[in-house]
Amino acid sequence: MNLRRYIYNGIVLAWLLGSSMAVAVPADDFKAANQLYDAGKFTEAAAAYEKIEPKTAHVYYNLGNAWFRQNNLGLAVLNYARARQLAPRDPDILANLKFAQQRLGVEGINTPPRAIQRVLRSVIDGCTASEWSAGEVAGLWLLALAIGARFYFPKMRRGFLVIAVTSFVGFGFSTFALSYQVVNNHMAPQAIVVSGETEARFAPVPDSTVHFRLAEGTQVAIREDRGQWLFVERADGQQGWVKSEALGQITNF
Amino acid sequence: MRFWLIIGFLLTATRAFADVSVVASVDRTRIGFGESVTLTVAVQGAHTGDPSVPKVDGLTFSGPSTSTSFSFVNGQTSQSISYTYQVTPGRTGEFTIPAIGVDVGGKTYSTVPIKLVVEKGAAQGEIGQALFGRVSLPSQEVYIGQTVPLDVFILWRADFLLRGLNGFTYDAEGLGCKFSPDLKLLDNQVINGESFNVRMIQGAISPTTTGTLSFGPCTLKAQQAVPNRGGNSLFDDMFGRTQVREVPITIDAVPITVLPLPEEGRPADFSGAVGQWNLEVTAKPTEVAVGDPITFTIKVSGSGNIDTVPTPKFAGLDEFKTYEPTTKTTKDELNTTGERVIQQVLIARSPEVKQLPEVRLVYFDPVAKAYKTADQAPMKLVVKAGTAGQSTIVSGGNRLRPEEKLGQDIVYLKGDLGPVTSTTPFCATPTFWTLNTMPVLALLGGIGWKKRTDKLRGDIAYARRVRAARDVRKLLATATNYDETQRALQNYLGDRLNIPAAGITASIVEEQLLPRGLNNELAADLKAYFETCDTARFAGGSAGTTPTATREKVERLIDELEKIHL
Repeated sequence: MNLRRYIYNGIVLAWLLGSSMAVAVPADDFKAANQLYDAGKFTEAAAAYEKIEPKTAHVYYNLGNAWFRQNNLGLAVLNYARARQLAPRDPDILANLKFAQQRLGVEGINTPPRAIQRVLRSVIDGCTASEWSAGEVAGLWLLALAIGARFYFPKMRRGFLVIAVTSFVGFGFSTFALSYQVVNNHMAPQAIVVSGETEARFAPVPDSTVHFRLAEGTQVAIREDRGQWLFVERADGQQGWVKSEALGQITNF
Repeated sequence: MRFWLIIGFLLTATRAFADVSVVASVDRTRIGFGESVTLTVAVQGAHTGDPSVPKVDGLTFSGPSTSTSFSFVNGQTSQSISYTYQVTPGRTGEFTIPAIGVDVGGKTYSTVPIKLVVEKGAAQGEIGQALFGRVSLPSQEVYIGQTVPLDVFILWRADFLLRGLNGFTYDAEGLGCKFSPDLKLLDNQVINGESFNVRMIQGAISPTTTGTLSFGPCTLKAQQAVPNRGGNSLFDDMFGRTQVREVPITIDAVPITVLPLPEEGRPADFSGAVGQWNLEVTAKPTEVAVGDPITFTIKVSGSGNIDTVPTPKFAGLDEFKTYEPTTKTTKDELNTTGERVIQQVLIARSPEVKQLPEVRLVYFDPVAKAYKTADQAPMKLVVKAGTAGQSTIVSGGNRLRPEEKLGQDIVYLKGDLGPVTSTTPFCATPTFWTLNTMPVLALLGGIGWKKRTDKLRGDIAYARRVRAARDVRKLLATATNYDETQRALQNYLGDRLNIPAAGITASIVEEQLLPRGLNNELAADLKAYFETCDTARFAGGSAGTTPTATREKVERLIDELEKIHL
């Protein structure tokens, strides 16, 4: 079996593995939910979107719209944020998320206070974990090929060095972004306040002192889970205990 | 001055324990509520276990502390053990401390019951001077909905060793009380020439019903450190030789008259706001095109209960398209001051609109005892024609959609499901890890291959050594006589030893191979083979056919030589 045959088989295997992850989604249910929305039956539309499994970015987005129309902006923000996680560069999702946050007055508090954090977050959140994974693999392959080519084509060493350095930077940043997303989602899952203004307390006890208040739509990171109580951190670093029913978790893996 | 009232007597005198006596006594039989008595159970003449003190409803027994004494009279020793309890009443009234049993040598001795009277007023004065509470209210006449500070002060004399305060309870139906959970320590106060420590529980009331109501009575529990009997209070406290007892503090009820809001002068659009409120109205932008949104912000702030403040009235909203306003309310812990920000998005319907709506808030000022109006004159607005009816719809599809505007409303629904992505990210699949491993392995393999080919090119000895076995097998496969077979073996040995093949004879075995570790058996076989070839060549000529057995022997020799590092 020659090299060409190996490459062909490799491509077929990768395609089969990739396609095995795709799952069928009931498109008719989605259309029926859209019709309910168009008829102004937003509660029924939201219930119909909730039933669709697995949920795509568009399902979460439309569900966010249905909650928005019911003036439940916390749940609207939550579902827009879930949609953004699956399709981070979709302009409609970004526009509606921003609009809902502005209506709740939480756009500022959901943004990290330091400029460097804001830039890093916007770059890292600009791609999904799968996209960063693909970038990491591509960077690694390019790096390996460039290093290998330097041995076989010594006259073009300089050119391959440039390619190797560039691909190393790409590989390194993709790995960092991927690790950040995976570790962040695992260690500190992101959540949205969905039940109006919520009190963050000093201790996971109902009558403990209120530390600060979280407006509806505020994004927090869950640092500790104790069942009915969650220890959360706001973007500005404020930490407190919040009842778990007040939050909806964004992270879906 | 302390006095002792002995009320116990000797119960039993047996032959075996003729000198045993058990006596119970209290230092006082009549005390004021808030004080405690000392109960002593003295056992004379025997060593015993602790007395069993029965439970009495309304009385708390703490202790015992034990003291033992020995006496030597007329050549006979006697022992006395005293058990001391602090008895604190939880209410006023008459109590009976029942007979206390003491087990001595298997026999139970009992004391006689003791009566104790706890009066409300008798001793209250004494303790009241050392520790008391009071309620502070700026006015005992307030309006319904008015927020008034109400603070509770606890004062104790410097010689009163207060260790803690807790259990704050109060009766305040209809007053809407709120108290700060923290006790504030204030500066000392001097009352009748005596210095008192002061702590304050900060609170506020906001009555919800009219009529004559009352705040209190309220109670607290104070923890007082009491020096041990006979000790020095200063040193006992310093070295922890004190007992802590609980002292209740009761503060009498304060009557409060809650007035209804006056009917006289009440404006028709009054909606229940009570306090002193300011109104601030802003709008951005004030120069717009028809269809452009204007953010109209109304801020109500001031002192009073912000929860009583409704959304201010707008006049002239018909000229605008409106959206649901958003409201954000902030207030202090006791709800005595607050701020409410209402944001309303307005869209002018036509270029004829010249001003923004007038905003008006009517409230009752309890200090001025009058209704007041906070209003904002209509702000000027410039509305240009030109963009009316323009709608921006971002998401695609040919479906009929209701009018939605980007930036003023959410973008419309997605018409298709979009790509279905797995909930498992690519990085969590085996493909990802396989693709990560492959380039690393390929790179290492490629580098190794390159190094090997470079060495084959540059190192002749290595190249000959590597190719020796392959080349000799090719030659042997085509060898038909002793001459060719011997040449193949010569070539092989020449390549392995990196010497010219032509000069290799049987002597190489002793000269080169044996010193390099060739075993004797193989050396003998090799030598024998060279001699066989020589004999065959000289006897049968170079064209003589090589027997298959001889060729196989050469191949075995080479196999054996391959195993040896020459």
